[in-house]
Amino acid sequence: MVGLDDLANIFQLQIREDAAARAVTATYKTQTLVLTPDQSLVSASGRLVSLPAPLIRQGRRWLVPVEFISRALAPIYDTRLEVRPASRLVLVGDLRVPRVVAQYDSSPTSLRVTFDITPRANATVTQEANRLLVRIDADTLDASLPPAPSQQGLLTGIRAAEPNTIQLDLGPRFSSHRVSQPASSGAAAVLTIELLAPPSTESSATAPNVPVAPAEPLAPGAPNAPGSALPVFGEANRPTLRTIVIDPGHGGEDSGVKGAGGAVEKQVTLAVARRVKGAIEGRLGMRVLLTHEDNRIGADGRAAIANNNKADLFISLHANGSPQPTTRGATIFTLSLDRFGEDARRQSQADREVLQVFGGGTREFSLVEWELAQAAHLDGSQAFASILDQKLRAITGMPAITLQRAPMRNLAGANMPAVLIEMGYLTNADEEKLLTSNGFQGNFAAAVTEAVTTFRDYLEQGPQVPEPPTP
Amino acid sequence: MKKRRDLLLYAGLGAVLGLALLALLLLGPRWLRTPPAAVQSVAPTATEARKIRARLFYVNEEGTALSGIEQEVSYGEGTVEQARRIVEAQLVTPPPPLTSAIPPGTKLRTLFLTAGGDAYVDLTPELQTNHPGGTTNEILTVYSLVSALTSNLPAVTGVQILIDGKEVDTLAGHLDLRRPIGQDARWVVE
Repeated sequence: MVGLDDLANIFQLQIREDAAARAVTATYKTQTLVLTPDQSLVSASGRLVSLPAPLIRQGRRWLVPVEFISRALAPIYDTRLEVRPASRLVLVGDLRVPRVVAQYDSSPTSLRVTFDITPRANATVTQEANRLLVRIDADTLDASLPPAPSQQGLLTGIRAAEPNTIQLDLGPRFSSHRVSQPASSGAAAVLTIELLAPPSTESSATAPNVPVAPAEPLAPGAPNAPGSALPVFGEANRPTLRTIVIDPGHGGEDSGVKGAGGAVEKQVTLAVARRVKGAIEGRLGMRVLLTHEDNRIGADGRAAIANNNKADLFISLHANGSPQPTTRGATIFTLSLDRFGEDARRQSQADREVLQVFGGGTREFSLVEWELAQAAHLDGSQAFASILDQKLRAITGMPAITLQRAPMRNLAGANMPAVLIEMGYLTNADEEKLLTSNGFQGNFAAAVTEAVTTFRDYLEQGPQVPEPPTP
Repeated sequence: MKKRRDLLLYAGLGAVLGLALLALLLLGPRWLRTPPAAVQSVAPTATEARKIRARLFYVNEEGTALSGIEQEVSYGEGTVEQARRIVEAQLVTPPPPLTSAIPPGTKLRTLFLTAGGDAYVDLTPELQTNHPGGTTNEILTVYSLVSALTSNLPAVTGVQILIDGKEVDTLAGHLDLRRPIGQDARWVVE
């Protein structure tokens, strides 16, 4: 939570409390936000915006969740505002702050450090004494740098040095380094630095292999070469993204919304779903499944495809309809729980059991009703929705995106983080043209891919995302 | 003695006057037999014409939420009967500029209320077959009915929609209608 008075000082807001109307208003120039104590809705220029927590009073101060900045303040602010919860950054204005994520891949004689730089930026690598400096062409960095695997003696530490430099502290076995030419991967640049041990020490490096416990299989994506690298504690238990299910809304004889100019929702959602699948597979190499290819399929059937394929993320795509032809904007829905769902959520926490698994060891299972499986994944779903909101705004330029929670039938049975995206209103002639255009569909697919990339980083490295329960 | 005779005389005169008045009411001109308006409202046939003020819900200008508007609704004896009258009024297509989120042709089949405060509203299939689709449309349709009942009748805390007497998964593929839905202020703007 953050104090409204602090935000007022930073963003030049006028805060006024109206006791009679039981409301708190925050005014920026001519735009006003209206908040109600103990309610999580904010009226922002006539639109209602949902926050993950209500406005509360603490002593003399009013507190709002951090999401207030991105969801309520950003749309009325005349300078670009971007919140990056994982790195605790609020970006004000058009700053170049690429997200830099480091990954390690070790072998007996080398350690490869890969930096994903999003959006793309140039980088130079220089050696100064016992450290390597990676200078990135940016104002500052939004860096996610997991602890370096120091056991090989090649790298003892890694950290961000102000303002745009990452410092690699070299270990006693470091001999030389190789830098690959920066490569492009979609909107990201990939820079790889290989730290090499001296040739004379190769044989001794391979000798004292640490035995790997037979019952602990290597996690996909974890450092490979069995026996060559010491395991990173906790790495095998961290969730990640391997399989994604994309659900094109409607299908078969269920056409969904008919557009003002004749576009049909089921065709739009299938076209976008195919593009998203291609983009994620092509760039991230993940397994992506569609729930159908223009067939009628029920809500439980859609969730079953995701659950049976052990998907790690479920994205349902829809196009919206309103009685008013001027209604516009995208909405990202996560599931809201009624009293039955709240019971299911509590039950899923209470009914955890530790059972023996094949091959030795134990695993924690939680028991939850099939039809309310999503109750156990709401935190992950909301985290992904928030990331998606930022990426869609940044890449597609969609100005009016609302995050909402509602009792969505398609999400209820998904046993993994799940969102439903209403991409825009087909009943609005302008948005119908946009949604059916190649340009928008390509940008939308790129934005979802970016969001998936960031969400994967959150799951694997970020402390901000609550630990999802074991499926 | 004279006092007693006077008393008898007054009683006799009163009785004669009473009889004369009764005869005039029964046999006199028609206007004398028309009961006053206050009496008319409690007559059984007059119940149908009695009205109450209730909030009905229509799509707001932005097309993303509902606005509550006070309208006259037929009076119903008891909560269930009143709930029926409110739903029937909510199903009527309003005159412009009001916009209803209820698909045209939808009629109420029956309505019953559980002891726990859940109203089961059984509607004709037009609610589904004439629905234009889209999450927003579906939310507005469902919460028109939920808001109309829960905001006017404190005894109703949840609403479950049935179609042709059967439970439904969703109306147009989005909202979970398998259980009663409670009021949600997010979909109503004042």
